[in-house]
Amino acid sequence: MNLEFGRVALVVLFALIPIAGIVMGLQASALRTRIPILIGVFAGVIPILSLYIPKQFLSGQTGMSPRLDQWLIIVYAFALLLGVVNVLQNSLRRIRRREKGWPFSAVLLTGLFVTGGLGVYGAVSRQGIGYRPDGSATPFQWITDHFFQPLQSTIFALLAFFMASAAFRAFRARNTEASILLLAGGLVMAGRVPLLEFLAAPFPPLQPAAAGASQALGKLTEWIMDTPNGAAQSGIIIGAALGAASMAIRVILGIERGYLGVGKGE
Amino acid sequence: MAGFVEKLLGLDRRWIFLLVLLSVATPIVFPIGLPVTTSGPTRSAFEYIEALTPGDVVWISFDYGPSSAPENDPMAEAVMRQCFLKKVRVVVTALYPLGALGIANNVLAKLNAEFPGLRYGEDYVNLGYKDGAAAVMRRLGEDISGAFPTDANGRPIGELPLMRDVPDIRHVKVIVTVATGTIGEWWITQVRAQIGTPVIIGPTAVSAPKYYAYLNAGQLVGILGGMKGAAEYEKLLASRHPELAGFYRTTHTFTATKGMDGQTVIHTVILVFILVGNLAYMKSRMKRRGA
Amino acid sequence: MRTGALGHVLARRMLPAAPLIASLLLAIPPRASARAPETAVPPGPELPAPTEFAAKDRPGDTGNAILVTWKIPPALPPDARIQIRRAEPPAYDWKDIATVEPGAQRYVDSSAKDKEVYRYEIRLVSASTPDTMGIAGASGPPLVSDPVASHDNWFRLERTNSLIANILFICLILGSISAARSGKKIFIRRIAGLNAIDEAIGRATEIGKKVLYVPGIQSMDDIQTIASVAILSHVAGATARYGADLDVPNRDPLTFAAAREVVRAAYLSEGRPDLFREEMVNYITYDQFAYTAAVAARMVRERPAAIFLVGYFFAESLILAETGQSTGAIQIAGQADPTQLPFFVATCDYTLIGEELYAASAYLTREPVLLGSMRGQDIAKGIIMLLGFLGIVAASIGIPWSAEIFKTR
Repeated sequence: MNLEFGRVALVVLFALIPIAGIVMGLQASALRTRIPILIGVFAGVIPILSLYIPKQFLSGQTGMSPRLDQWLIIVYAFALLLGVVNVLQNSLRRIRRREKGWPFSAVLLTGLFVTGGLGVYGAVSRQGIGYRPDGSATPFQWITDHFFQPLQSTIFALLAFFMASAAFRAFRARNTEASILLLAGGLVMAGRVPLLEFLAAPFPPLQPAAAGASQALGKLTEWIMDTPNGAAQSGIIIGAALGAASMAIRVILGIERGYLGVGKGE
Repeated sequence: MAGFVEKLLGLDRRWIFLLVLLSVATPIVFPIGLPVTTSGPTRSAFEYIEALTPGDVVWISFDYGPSSAPENDPMAEAVMRQCFLKKVRVVVTALYPLGALGIANNVLAKLNAEFPGLRYGEDYVNLGYKDGAAAVMRRLGEDISGAFPTDANGRPIGELPLMRDVPDIRHVKVIVTVATGTIGEWWITQVRAQIGTPVIIGPTAVSAPKYYAYLNAGQLVGILGGMKGAAEYEKLLASRHPELAGFYRTTHTFTATKGMDGQTVIHTVILVFILVGNLAYMKSRMKRRGA
Repeated sequence: MRTGALGHVLARRMLPAAPLIASLLLAIPPRASARAPETAVPPGPELPAPTEFAAKDRPGDTGNAILVTWKIPPALPPDARIQIRRAEPPAYDWKDIATVEPGAQRYVDSSAKDKEVYRYEIRLVSASTPDTMGIAGASGPPLVSDPVASHDNWFRLERTNSLIANILFICLILGSISAARSGKKIFIRRIAGLNAIDEAIGRATEIGKKVLYVPGIQSMDDIQTIASVAILSHVAGATARYGADLDVPNRDPLTFAAAREVVRAAYLSEGRPDLFREEMVNYITYDQFAYTAAVAARMVRERPAAIFLVGYFFAESLILAETGQSTGAIQIAGQADPTQLPFFVATCDYTLIGEELYAASAYLTREPVLLGSMRGQDIAKGIIMLLGFLGIVAASIGIPWSAEIFKTR
């Protein structure tokens, strides 16, 4: 039996203490809310310590911190199963009750079973879920290539349409700040593309002037992106990082509990 | 007139959608061939790789999925063309979970057809996909074989001659992350900041503004911002390497330079939308004030 | 048999001393020992030798790595390389382990094993430079290191600055919390987006339509998602109080599990467990754009009166927010990452920008402890701004180490 320190410590912190807490929580209800917070404290402190202490038991390949990462993947797999069960429950209910839009649920379940089934078949038949050695696609890969990838691209491409409509509707010079934003946005949009050359294309005599103006506009765009934009981005990134660090400390110390649904703070 | 302004302000979104469709599709069918001007962040990325010597190693990470491939593919292809032309060796990885490895395989297949003399394991390797991007990056600082024990085909990386010269990420001259989402940022925070290997990023246009903060802080060598950045890179490549100038002029495959025609037209159309929207808005505001 | 057993016992007893013996053996100069590692006899120093050569345990690591360092002599041929060899137990034969560029001046041997004693040898080689015989392929004289073994360390010295900063930050937060607990009044500015939560849910209740809460697409290991789930707790409390319908579609399975518990707990704590239905918090899919399509379709079909887009969003932000806007719903968004913020600002009625997202719990509950931590965070921000200003001054007047002390490795 491997009784290395990190392994034993993890078992104590994440198995024995919670089990003892649950048992004692049967008598003292306050313990029931404290145990999840305590687990959060352990799970938060270990990676922080491993940032500074490179000892094998803590930060080595099989140390406590990397092992916690692996545990997260295992917990994630079970949670995903929970998600799939939830999809099944909700879709079957909609179909059974013939709720509005139930055919969509039927399509969803068909896709889930066909794709999932082909994935399982690929694993069982040992041909995998990618390409075969001869370069031909397995059925799972075929679905990925011909359904999944084009559908992904399609939804992403919708952005162009929504951007245009949002720009038309929301980009208004309502006040001074909005006007500055509008001007900067307009300049960057014009400066990122050869817009002036495009507009001057039907008028050959104007083309040299358009090319020169386009160069100048490009430089102005670069300055806007580099200086005011860079400064603003730094401000938001540093502010948000501090906010995140403060929130993380609150979570690790058990001060912030809203995410657990066990009270608003202590 | 007042009625027209009201109508314009309440324009059905579907008319806008139709105009966007026509603006993007027309230049694809009938290319215009507009010129591309280059910017500082792209030039510094290009010059950095241009200054590498044969045998140096560049790490190219495919950190994007099929959704942003039209924007990101030309970046990855252009950087790899430059590397292979200069006999710079390339290590390929994919850290984005959904479809990045497939894209990397497709791009490598394309480049192999363009550079028939490439030898796998010596001129380039494909280490494939690995889950847990940030943890993988941290591990690369210790040893690459810990993070990627085998390549994409399951071959131990110890058998690949190229990888013998690259025991950890410090031995790589530059990391080029072609990215969507947060993985590109992690290369900066996990590798550049903590290990020190220089990073070039090729983000989607929407993410590019964020990276100027890192560029100003000296944590990035350069940025290839969206399709414009890729087109600039293609232009720099074509101007420095005549053999690629011919390729980019004659190729029938999609390139960022071709994509810029559509982008220029759509930018113009959106600017017109904004202008018209604002004129209508001002008109209605004046009317309200008058009332 | 008996001899074999005795040998086994002896071998076992000798085992702990093996590294010591090995180190003693290796400490003897190579040519003077029968067991000494065989170094190839150099044909003559056609190339110079590197200087300041050392092999030592890499400091501040988890072990299994030896750091080899050297300084290069001037005027080397362009194709010069450093050939690194290692003698290892039990045979102590020299084996090539790497050939690297001399300019690197360091090499980490991460194939070393803890507690095993090694010696390293480096020499300069050049394929194009002729040796004394006039044949291309010259090499310089070898340098051999002292015996060295790797081990794991107790502290990453290069992260001392980060440790000090973290300790200071934690002290500031805890100090501010303690001040808040002792009754010190803490001001927090008005955040319109959070004030609008009750208004949005009230409106949904009035017109009898549901409230849609989208907690982003990241998992519970992202701090923005944790902040979002904390806000969800308040939103669910309000929907329970007003009796409005709530819908929380999820992309991430862990967020789904956490959100469900939070909503259930909120309905319980408001005394309305009868209004809670399991399907209020539901799972859709792990794929980003399939999730986006499903939520957008739900917005169009069910026309919720209030939409919350709070958490970590990527390219789907504008698709969701613009679709929500087209349905006429009141929209409240929140994100700390700046990339998608412009889209939310353009399409939503209220947007929590940057750290406002993390301030939500403190703002909504007005708990002194949470407010105290906000104050600590603001003081830290002030200190960082001051340090930034001092850094600008230091860099401008040419103090080179000013930037170095803030670098974290």
